[in-house]
Amino acid sequence: MSNAVLEADNVFYSYSRKGVKVLNGMCIDVPKGKKTALLGCNGAGKSTLFSVLNALYEPDDGKVLYNDKPLTYKHKDIIKMRTDVSILFQNPNDMIFKPYVEQDVAFGPENLKLSKEEVEARVSEALFTVGMEKYRKFPIMKLSYGQRKRVTLAGVLAMRPSVLIMDEPTAGLDPQMAYEVMEIAEQLNASGVTVIMSSHDTDLTYSWSDEIRVLHGGQCMYSGVPEPFYSDHKKVQTAGLIRPSVFMMNKALHDLGRCELEPYPKTQTQLSVKISDCRDRNFGTLHILVAEIDTDIAKSLEDAGLTGVHSGIYGLSARLAADATGYQPNYRYNGPENCTMKCLSGEDAVLVCDSRMVDLAKSSADFINNNGYGKIDVKTI
Amino acid sequence: MSLKPPEEDSMSEQMEMDELAYSSRMVNWAPLGKLIFVMAVLIIGLLADSLVVPLITFAIGFALMAYSTNLKIPLILALAIGEAILIMIIGSGMISIMGDHSQPALWEAQFLWFDIHMTEQSFNNAWQIFVRAVAGVTVMLSFACSTPIPHLAHAFKSLHCPNEITELIVLIYRYAFLLLERFLVMLDAAQCRLGYNGTMTAMRSYGGAMAGTFIFSMELAEKSEAALACRNYQGYFPIYHPPKNMSIMWVVVSVGLAVALYFVGKYTEGWINMAEIMAPLFGW
Amino acid sequence: MDCVFELKDVVFAYQQKAEPILNGFSLEIERGVRTSILGCNGAGKTTFFNTLTGVNKPQSGEVLFNGNPVEYTKKGLMDLRSNVAVVLQNPDEQIFCSLVEEDIAFGPLNIGLDREEVERRVDRALKDVRLIGLNRRPLQQLSGGQRKRVAIAGALAMQPDILIMDEPTAGLDPQAAVEVMELAEKMSLRGVTVLISTHDIDLAYKWAETTNVFRNGAVAFRGNGDEFYSDIDNVYSCGLLAPSIFTMNKDVSAIKGMDPAPYPHNMCEITAKFGGSKKSGKLYLVPAEVENAVSKYEEIVKDAKDSTVGIYGSEVRFELQDKDIEFMFEGLDYCFTQAVKGKDTILIYDSIYAPTIQRQIDRLKEFGFDADTEVVG
Repeated sequence: MSNAVLEADNVFYSYSRKGVKVLNGMCIDVPKGKKTALLGCNGAGKSTLFSVLNALYEPDDGKVLYNDKPLTYKHKDIIKMRTDVSILFQNPNDMIFKPYVEQDVAFGPENLKLSKEEVEARVSEALFTVGMEKYRKFPIMKLSYGQRKRVTLAGVLAMRPSVLIMDEPTAGLDPQMAYEVMEIAEQLNASGVTVIMSSHDTDLTYSWSDEIRVLHGGQCMYSGVPEPFYSDHKKVQTAGLIRPSVFMMNKALHDLGRCELEPYPKTQTQLSVKISDCRDRNFGTLHILVAEIDTDIAKSLEDAGLTGVHSGIYGLSARLAADATGYQPNYRYNGPENCTMKCLSGEDAVLVCDSRMVDLAKSSADFINNNGYGKIDVKTI
Repeated sequence: MSLKPPEEDSMSEQMEMDELAYSSRMVNWAPLGKLIFVMAVLIIGLLADSLVVPLITFAIGFALMAYSTNLKIPLILALAIGEAILIMIIGSGMISIMGDHSQPALWEAQFLWFDIHMTEQSFNNAWQIFVRAVAGVTVMLSFACSTPIPHLAHAFKSLHCPNEITELIVLIYRYAFLLLERFLVMLDAAQCRLGYNGTMTAMRSYGGAMAGTFIFSMELAEKSEAALACRNYQGYFPIYHPPKNMSIMWVVVSVGLAVALYFVGKYTEGWINMAEIMAPLFGW
Repeated sequence: MDCVFELKDVVFAYQQKAEPILNGFSLEIERGVRTSILGCNGAGKTTFFNTLTGVNKPQSGEVLFNGNPVEYTKKGLMDLRSNVAVVLQNPDEQIFCSLVEEDIAFGPLNIGLDREEVERRVDRALKDVRLIGLNRRPLQQLSGGQRKRVAIAGALAMQPDILIMDEPTAGLDPQAAVEVMELAEKMSLRGVTVLISTHDIDLAYKWAETTNVFRNGAVAFRGNGDEFYSDIDNVYSCGLLAPSIFTMNKDVSAIKGMDPAPYPHNMCEITAKFGGSKKSGKLYLVPAEVENAVSKYEEIVKDAKDSTVGIYGSEVRFELQDKDIEFMFEGLDYCFTQAVKGKDTILIYDSIYAPTIQRQIDRLKEFGFDADTEVVG
């Protein structure tokens, strides 16, 4: 019994009879409950693999396994799988079928033949999650690219998938919008959704994912945690990729004799800590305020005596709570990293956070504490 | 090695035909000349009474196809001819059994309410139509597989066809591929959101995809207009290495061949009587 | 200031009574300066580019090209568009002809250049984007990345004064993205003013000399990127985030009690600032051409046995693609980092990039690091 929710077992696929085999003996798995990044140069077969895993294309040879059972490609079974596995295509314009936002988000649930009330509930939930509730009645063609992307994401979330496949989710988005999409993906994963995404943003995939799968020439050439792959420069080059900057800088520090290679820092904050060597300093305290949608953030901070302290927000309920009361934090983006850095420079910081994201919020602070780079007090309110 | 550009695979039949045309050995022959030649041979094949002429037309078409593809006739062309044959078998078959009741029957039968009356004349007629059709398809395919559409547009321009028409031909040709690609991707996206779960749903998905593709084409048109202006578009698409211009020889050869075939047709009228040839098979 | 373009109080709306997209827009684009344009979606970038190419005629305000007002006559626009080339984000929006070489020749043929000149330009453009073997391929058969290169080649064939690239690395895999930026650098060295609009703030920060930030149809900031990112609230209000290297420099400087200036823009600079070795490693600089790349490589690797090798430049990279090279991509940054770490290293590059290398050497001096370099051959 493997822990893979989707698996391709020796799959072969080509688009036309005599054509090049885009998938050429592909053996790959999507680990359940994890954040996986699919890497590979253009033409390596990423989009094709997604289509095969989602039963859009039937392999010429080999099997696709869903929850350890081979796909039968019978109509009923495929429908069942598609209620559970959703793909977010790269170009949102490819996924829009209705003129108005709420109609398009409802497309999927309606196709599931759910009741009107259920459809309505799901549409509201999905639009809230992506922050597009205000645009419910808008015509989609009047929205910007980033807004359309969020609408299509809502459309996919309305299916309540347990596996979310994202094809280049941040492509074409400005930095803030890209960050918000990735935060939504993290939120989903924290709620138990398996997320697999393909992206050309090497640094993003390195800091975000638990594991990577690297495709080359229609096969999976590497599967596992990123570091062993990136340590082999020949493999990286053959795969058509480059190495993440945080990884390279960590290596540079190690070569300078400043530190050990491990633990591998995944974010700049973790790398900054390794560069700085500040064990003996006094760090500030990281306060974590767990927020629900109806929390009055300003009041809660006042009650805890943390009004003047630098604050960040992280996670869906925190954002919604902040928007509801008009609360302006210091760090709307990269809340956990910025707050941790504030603590490192000796000041206190408070991170207003969704209840499901607390562990993620603490991850950089844990990195510092657990590896002896210093001690940041973490207090939950 | 990752530095080499990945081989991109053809995703549709249109792309395969396009590939064939550009790699044809006849691609640099004058497109207008090829067209006139093919039309001449086709028309004579359709008009001649003898069965010999369309057979010659078929042979010419097949020979051109073989030459164009360097004797490696791809599956797509063979399938196209096969398709024509299959359709014509049905069509000609119908004609052959609807003979003139005043003539003696080779074969008579009753099928439901239908009177089957096959005469020598209807049988021969059917064969003639069959051979003419297959010959026509073959000879037109030989033209299509050796002439890319932009070359044809260029040829029309040299005939002083209005720029707007040639512009339309080139742009429709170029964008047809793009729009088709988009349409197919949208259908896939609909499938992923269970857009095919039921007939009405499937129809709605198709409609949505068509609407989306249409909107895409409008947005593309707007952006392309600006891009064309930026590239100093003068109203026509110059071809960098144009194929040869049609010389008078093409007209001479085409007309000459047509005339020759006409006389061949007259001379060989009645030479091939399919009913007589196939009589032993059926015991007529 | 020698400006390629000057926009003064430009107001532009798509329709008479509509809300203006560019509202009192003023901007100067300096000749030969690597310029970046940042801004969230909807800030007015596309409208701005269309104004530069004469597609949008402003309702009021002035647009000066090379000091002269743009003439919106047929001839005036043709002159403008012969010298201003745009590469759009989506190449399918701007490539029209059936074959690669035909599309590249489209622009030059349209402006009536003679046959020989067109052939020369097309060959050179094909060589610059490395599509020589694919020149007679139909466009439909090319991948997205290849089509992007065709679009770039089409722009290069116009030999423009100014090359505008909208999201040049979007949709490209990491290695192809590196090569596009090397091409932008090459154009810059040839004297073309390169203007890049991108959402990749790290890329813009590393590459640009002047940063322009658009917000709501006006220029919210023009100048040095370091200055812009130092005001984080302004950055947020423009819909952007700060680049990773900038943030890291700020954070580590705060922890160590150092001055954030000078601001490192890439890995070798930040390594030099926060922990370079006292003694520079030996950096062998090997300028090469297509003809001698392999021989120079073999020679230098024999002489400097324990040095890591890096490559900068697509022509040299293509010649040496089968060799075992540690830093096949971004060799410039990585090799200098090796030198900063006190290790010996070899950088082989297309000879045209010599000024780029010198620029990096000079920049590192600002961080107190004197590279020990030796130009070989």
